[in-house]
Amino acid sequence: MSGRERRYFSPEIETMPRDEIERIREERLLGDLLPWAYQRSALIREAWDAAGVTPDDVQSMDQFQERVPFIDKDAIRAFRDRHRDPYGGMLCLDPKLTEVFSAIFSTSGTTGDPTPAPYAGRGPSMLVREFWELGCRPGDFFTYCLFTFRGPGIHDTIRGIGATPLFVDHQPADVPQLIRFSRELRPTAWYNLSGPLVLAIEQYAAASGTDLADAFASYRGVTLAGEPIGPRTRRRVEDGWGLELFVHTGVGDVGAATECREHDGCHFWEDTCYLESLDPDGVEPVGDGERGELVSTTLLDKIAPLVRYRSDDLVRITHEWCACGRTHGRVWPLGRKGDEVVVEGRSVLPGDLWAAIEAVPETGAGLFQVIRARREVDRLRLRVGYANDGGRGSADLRTRVTESVHAAVGIEPDVELVANEELLRQGPPHKIPRVAKQ
Amino acid sequence: MVTFAKRYEDPPEVWGVGRIVVDGEVTPWPVAQRDVEDEAESLAPRLAALGLEPGGLVLVVAMLSQAVHAVPLEQAAGRIGALYSSADATPFDAFRVAVLTRQLVPHVVIGITGGVLDGLGEAGQDPADVLGSVPAVVTADDDAHTRLRAAGLAPRHWVKLGPTSAIEDVAGEGPVYDVSRWRVEEDGGELVISNVVPRLTEARALRTGVRGRVVEEGRVSVSGSA
Repeated sequence: MSGRERRYFSPEIETMPRDEIERIREERLLGDLLPWAYQRSALIREAWDAAGVTPDDVQSMDQFQERVPFIDKDAIRAFRDRHRDPYGGMLCLDPKLTEVFSAIFSTSGTTGDPTPAPYAGRGPSMLVREFWELGCRPGDFFTYCLFTFRGPGIHDTIRGIGATPLFVDHQPADVPQLIRFSRELRPTAWYNLSGPLVLAIEQYAAASGTDLADAFASYRGVTLAGEPIGPRTRRRVEDGWGLELFVHTGVGDVGAATECREHDGCHFWEDTCYLESLDPDGVEPVGDGERGELVSTTLLDKIAPLVRYRSDDLVRITHEWCACGRTHGRVWPLGRKGDEVVVEGRSVLPGDLWAAIEAVPETGAGLFQVIRARREVDRLRLRVGYANDGGRGSADLRTRVTESVHAAVGIEPDVELVANEELLRQGPPHKIPRVAKQ
Repeated sequence: MVTFAKRYEDPPEVWGVGRIVVDGEVTPWPVAQRDVEDEAESLAPRLAALGLEPGGLVLVVAMLSQAVHAVPLEQAAGRIGALYSSADATPFDAFRVAVLTRQLVPHVVIGITGGVLDGLGEAGQDPADVLGSVPAVVTADDDAHTRLRAAGLAPRHWVKLGPTSAIEDVAGEGPVYDVSRWRVEEDGGELVISNVVPRLTEARALRTGVRGRVVEEGRVSVSGSA
């Protein structure tokens, strides 16, 4: 079979037997990562000491689940503020070791100050497996549409697969060049598309008369990340533009997960991380495929290792084999625990509202925020973005959005309408905060 | 036939397809790995001339589409034993410039634009407070340069001359380019550039869109966009 036809980039890893995955996990975690992190990470040591646990107490995965304490973003921020340590006590090595580190990158900062992350990576990342699945092959062009603050890892990965990156800004202003490069160089894969960029491309195409199906005809796969899109928008992109979208999501800041061509959950790589799904309000694991909070542990990161990191992300996880033949687990992102609002005792996540809001033509971009001062509220308050070209009165629009949401979740919301642009200004450009205090 | 494994170990000659923008007109610009490495070697003395030392940090504020210019700058930091960090040159990402400047205490911040200053302003931040303690602040457009000077700072210029960069040092006597690699000439008040060492994509009297003059070999003065 030629390289272009083969299904997997690393078949020996991607289709590894389950018992082999578990053996590697235990070897890396118990034998290597935990002692390293405990000895060198000030935050991990502080948390473990407070719990009265040392690596000697953790000799099996059962003991790991029973004894290892959790950390979370609040703990990292509190350590940062208490010790004036921008890395929140996570670092295991001095970031000034320029023979180890070349750069310091940062997280997106959607929910607070971006966290700096020293970079020691060189060469392709695990994403070669995903990029291969997208359909990218040696000799192809690859549309690299992102930001600068993520560092060179994606670029190295594209080249590692033997492809050539085309640099495009993840910005509405760069849509004309995205379309031009797509037409002229006929790239086969694209990383990344997001909800706000979909909106910008649609607006540009409408104004310029661009045939997007023609412009994007060469793509075999496109990752969709950052801001999700609702089902109607996804159909417009897939059916109208002819793109096959692959949902791509971070997994608890220890890696990423991406759909395969089965589009039945996002594969995460269990040779690189250990993911648990726990009761969002407790410590017990939930069943396979049930909704839980993602708790992540790295198996590889020796620089700033996260161990039992309560991510605040609500997910479903399964370890059932996928029809694609890969043996690693799959995750479905559902929303953030911090984004949940409880109205009259009923839980509502932004994802529950998406289809109802984008079903109204003027609010079809799916830009909205849940306004909540606290988790439990008396009324569901929504700030909803609209395209100011609908030609129908805003009073009527508010009524239609209200009725659509009411029909979807059984709760009548209070709706505030604002122009789409006002919400997009709250970027970063690939996503907006879905929950606001006011 | 080149095998898959061979291609994986030996990536394509073209490192990436960036772009050159002159008067808003975009020209795709493929560069080779060796071009990027040579440009990094060339720019390392420019960062050193801004005071960047081993163990220090430069914050590069740019866009991904400017990779042909920004990545060599980032790699130049490594050549003098320093680190780099990155932020987008947009109003959206101005908060990152402010946070990273506070957290990482860079010796050089290069690439500040009017858009970044707009973003700081929208966030209620005074650019003089954010950047005032940075030893060397280098702007990427005239708007930012003018506004930072008005705020009492002493910014330096970063000018993109075709596929290379000219960067002003702390003496502030005009942006410096590498005469061993590039020839810069004037044409009707606009600077044009040619490569004098091989490059994957050849520049031959390429318009830069920069109005200015060559004040001495290796140094230009600029008066704005053409």
